[in-house]
Amino acid sequence: MIAAVAYEHILVEIQAPIATVTLNRPKVLNALSPDLIREVNEVLGELDADDTVRAVVLTGGPKVFAAGADIADMADRTAVEQLRRDQTGRWAGIAAFGKPLIAAVNGYALGGGCELALMCDLIIGGDTARLGQPEINLGIIPGAGGTQRWPRTVGKYAAMEAMLTGAPVTARRAYQLGLVNKVVPAEMTVEIAKRTARQLAEKPPLALRMAKEAVLKAFESPLSEGLAVERKSFYFLFSTEDQKEGMHAFLEKRKGVFKGR
Amino acid sequence: MATTEVEQHVKVETEGGVGWIQLNRPEKMNAIGAVTRRQLGDAIKQVERDESVRVVVLTGSGRAFCSGADVTEMAQSGDGGMRTPEDVGNVLRNEYMPMLTRLRTMPKPVIAAMNGPAVGIGASYALACDIRIATPEAYILEAFVNIGLAPDGGVSWLLPRLVGTGIAYEMFFSGKPLQAADAHRLGVINRLVPADRLEAEVRELASQLSTQPRQAMAAAKRAVNHALESSYEEALEFESYLQEAQAASPEFAAGVQAFLAKRANKIK
Repeated sequence: MIAAVAYEHILVEIQAPIATVTLNRPKVLNALSPDLIREVNEVLGELDADDTVRAVVLTGGPKVFAAGADIADMADRTAVEQLRRDQTGRWAGIAAFGKPLIAAVNGYALGGGCELALMCDLIIGGDTARLGQPEINLGIIPGAGGTQRWPRTVGKYAAMEAMLTGAPVTARRAYQLGLVNKVVPAEMTVEIAKRTARQLAEKPPLALRMAKEAVLKAFESPLSEGLAVERKSFYFLFSTEDQKEGMHAFLEKRKGVFKGR
Repeated sequence: MATTEVEQHVKVETEGGVGWIQLNRPEKMNAIGAVTRRQLGDAIKQVERDESVRVVVLTGSGRAFCSGADVTEMAQSGDGGMRTPEDVGNVLRNEYMPMLTRLRTMPKPVIAAMNGPAVGIGASYALACDIRIATPEAYILEAFVNIGLAPDGGVSWLLPRLVGTGIAYEMFFSGKPLQAADAHRLGVINRLVPADRLEAEVRELASQLSTQPRQAMAAAKRAVNHALESSYEEALEFESYLQEAQAASPEFAAGVQAFLAKRANKIK
């Protein structure tokens, strides 16, 4: 349990085997300040190391996921200042999280908010969700992965449309584009994400980790390299207790109980 | 002369949980011009936002429900006129689209009280409502083709869903009206009532709906709108989640209490 750790901009709830991280700056629609991102990074680091936690939900709560970055904080900065702060480079830890990370998105997920959702492994969209990259309207472009993760998810043309027009897509459209896994009534989004997390928490943790790594590898490497990673992970998993348990449970027609060993 | 905002093309009255929006240009058969459009847009927003309004009624004044876009105004140049084809498209996209969408998605029942013909964009308003009650003198006319235009205001989507493609095409191609009696037989109009009974009948339905659990009605509307764009399986799943939310609501708790109390009364 790390329930004692206090954060200023996020709420952390651990109900083993899952944890829920809620962005909590409601007055500014969860604008992603550097401090907030630092806290998300920190808590994910701790949750990654916590063996009692097997899957994590990331949400902005019932009304809004995150409506972008702190514009007031950025408006008058120079390029050099921005480079030295490397605001967006600090998000790397979120994308590198090793356990299943499920975004529960209600309302706006704009700019950095959308990019944050795109770093998750599954996205549950409330019917109020609006996802988009409006940066173009401010004279900039997405800076935390938007231009790279959108085309890898929805293809060139839908991605171009989102980047060049800055117009957000509805939950329904996002579902059609494959940008969210399902659309649910907004009041149920977080709950359904938690249930999904609990389902994943019953699966073998090492296999989850390697499956996630292998899928992410597909976005970064030629097929042959991805296949090599997949194959090695596949063989490696035969060295785990969970593989023995999984296969014997299957043969004995019972449900496997996995320990992450 | 340009019309001024002082003219009241649309009246809004709220009474007993019912928000009445009345098109108020009887001398023009409630045709919709630039001023009407703005006022109607505001009226629809107002009743959507007003928490005290539980049910919305949209109706006309005089002989017509709404005779459609004000074609004489469209033909004028200058303020309110649509000088270019692009103006026509922009008005549809920027003005009609948001308010028609609002009617279909606002979380409360919307009833069209069709006191007379609904023509062109007027028919689009009537068909965008959730329920239609009409007098025998009413009709629905997709008049677009008669002046060389294509259907707009969402009817290419709504009408085939209400009557099927065959009848929708006949209406779009022939430019001839669907009379109230036929519309009633086809299920487009829920009820036919004599003109002198229309207001009372609508009032009765609206006031009954205003006492129904509002969140449950809003959920029904949400489910239908979701289902219209989903597969059967997607609709079933969406319903199941909505039902969970509803089952957790005070409305359901109160409903069960009332049900049990009533049954207890009957047993006695």
